Amino acid sequence: MAFLLRRLGFYLAAFIAAATINFFLPRLMPGDPIQIMFSSTGTELSAENLESLKLTFGFVDGPLWQQYLTYLQSIFTGDLGRSIKYFPLPVTEVLGHALIWTVALMGTATLISFTLGTFLGILAAWRRGSAFDVVVSVGAIFATSVPAVVTSLIVLFFFGFTLNWFPTGYSADPALDPSFSFTYIASVLYHGILPMVTLCSVLTGGFAVTMRNNMINLLGEDYIVMGRAKGLSDSRVMIWYAARNALLPTVSSLAIAIGTVLGGSLVTEVVFNYPGLGNILYQAILARDYPVIQGQLLIMTIAMLIANFIVDISYVLLDPRLRRT
Amino acid sequence: MKTLIAGLVRNRKALVGMIILLIIVLIALAAPLLTEYNPAARVGRPHQPPSADHWLGTTRIGQDVFARLIYGARTSLAVGFGAGLIITVLGTALGIIAGYRGGKTDEVISFFTNMVLVVPNLPLLLVLASFIGQASPLVIAVILGLTSWAWGARVTRAETLSVKQKDFVKSAEMMGEPRWRIMAFEIFPNLISIVGINFIGSVIFAIITEATLEFLGLGDPKTVSWGMMLYNAQKASALSVGAWWDILTPCFALALLGIGLSLLNFAVDEIANPRLRTGNSMSRWSALIRSGEGRL
Repeated sequence: MAFLLRRLGFYLAAFIAAATINFFLPRLMPGDPIQIMFSSTGTELSAENLESLKLTFGFVDGPLWQQYLTYLQSIFTGDLGRSIKYFPLPVTEVLGHALIWTVALMGTATLISFTLGTFLGILAAWRRGSAFDVVVSVGAIFATSVPAVVTSLIVLFFFGFTLNWFPTGYSADPALDPSFSFTYIASVLYHGILPMVTLCSVLTGGFAVTMRNNMINLLGEDYIVMGRAKGLSDSRVMIWYAARNALLPTVSSLAIAIGTVLGGSLVTEVVFNYPGLGNILYQAILARDYPVIQGQLLIMTIAMLIANFIVDISYVLLDPRLRRT
Repeated sequence: MKTLIAGLVRNRKALVGMIILLIIVLIALAAPLLTEYNPAARVGRPHQPPSADHWLGTTRIGQDVFARLIYGARTSLAVGFGAGLIITVLGTALGIIAGYRGGKTDEVISFFTNMVLVVPNLPLLLVLASFIGQASPLVIAVILGLTSWAWGARVTRAETLSVKQKDFVKSAEMMGEPRWRIMAFEIFPNLISIVGINFIGSVIFAIITEATLEFLGLGDPKTVSWGMMLYNAQKASALSVGAWWDILTPCFALALLGIGLSLLNFAVDEIANPRLRTGNSMSRWSALIRSGEGRL
């Protein structure tokens, strides 16, 4: 429990650090920070609107610490300002809508590649030296060393444009209204396949390699030999004796992987014109919509911290030693 | 160090990685000899498929793709190795200091290291780069270098903790050697493999991230680089109009460089890490595994 509380405190500090970067960055740039933040792409803000935006981002009269506290206050009350490009929509609304798609895409891809990678890793370690192992290991090097943007573009080119098997953009057929009907859900799944395949191919290799490593280290342990000596079946020793223990460090590598997943999904969404955070962000960057760009850092940080916390909790559940300290 | 270099020469993976890297470096250096075209100039009609005149076709505005490819290699390599160097120097120095000094110093450095690790890297870079405006490759290299040292610092610190327990460090302490000397001449040489892996890993990371930032529209439009090639091709809808050469060329170049560097990285790990050599013929493959730790 104390462990989890300490982690929570640390995450709070990390979140404030991200907010602090957002606060100081416009003020460190040469020129008028208000001008920089709110003057992009010709949207005319009324004096009243500008006033409220300035308040949100801490541009108030007073010393710097007072401005900083004002900014932190708006962040902690969930006010991230309004988008300049989609004025007057609040940043939280612009990002929130997109977040659903990103989380769905990312979550599913992480789940699939974690399961698949772990499974491939277990089998590769169990039959180390076999052709299967070589294929998994070499495939993992290649898949993880190619940038997500390159994988996305190549997948899009072959399966989207050349073979014409899958749609090349959007999360569903734009002609359909979002609903819980079979046609709409089928369309969402169909449109999600290519981005999903891309993300999985970027991620699976890393999980497979980590799992294989942990397994091989454990296979020499006495209790594995003992399990075999007792005459247990191969699959029982492999899954319940070796894999179960090898999973522990893999779970912690999952926390680090979340950052990669976030980055990868941003790029993949841009390439596949998928209406998630990545795409909103891409539009925001092109329009220099700073409130949205800053807001995504905070939202991504929160997502990353939540993911880390879930991993912390599962770690406590998986490793009894941690519960006592 | 000597065994490291000798090992690299004999290792087949290192050889392939080295050859890939060397070819790319040579092509980048010899770019003016290999093409008559200026990579920034319009030298042909727009979106011409590959031909004898333009080996890899032309872009939407009629630039020669081959010329942009080989001049762009210079940018990717420079940003990769430049940022990689900054990341490695910062990470190694902070890791050794935290690990060796311990106490309050360690707590402060470790706190910041862990903090940088949980703030997602790409979104942070997007915010930094967007405020800087059209970021030149030099600016990208510097901000990458300053924000991405945390992984290296953590790994180096962990390794330092085990090295500092060794007898030769104890005896250097007994002899009253100054602390900076112990860190620089007793501990650092024993971390050379970690430093090497960190360096190559950071180079890969920097090359990928530079391309990603530029692809997302944060680069300077005047830059000739693989990332800008991707950005321009994507903006010109190269795939939907069928100009595959425009977009696939930088894709394959990035993939090749990434694979070459990764092979090299695995090889360094394999040679430098005695634990991985204890196996049988399998040691080559078990090396892959360890390098997957931490950095996915």
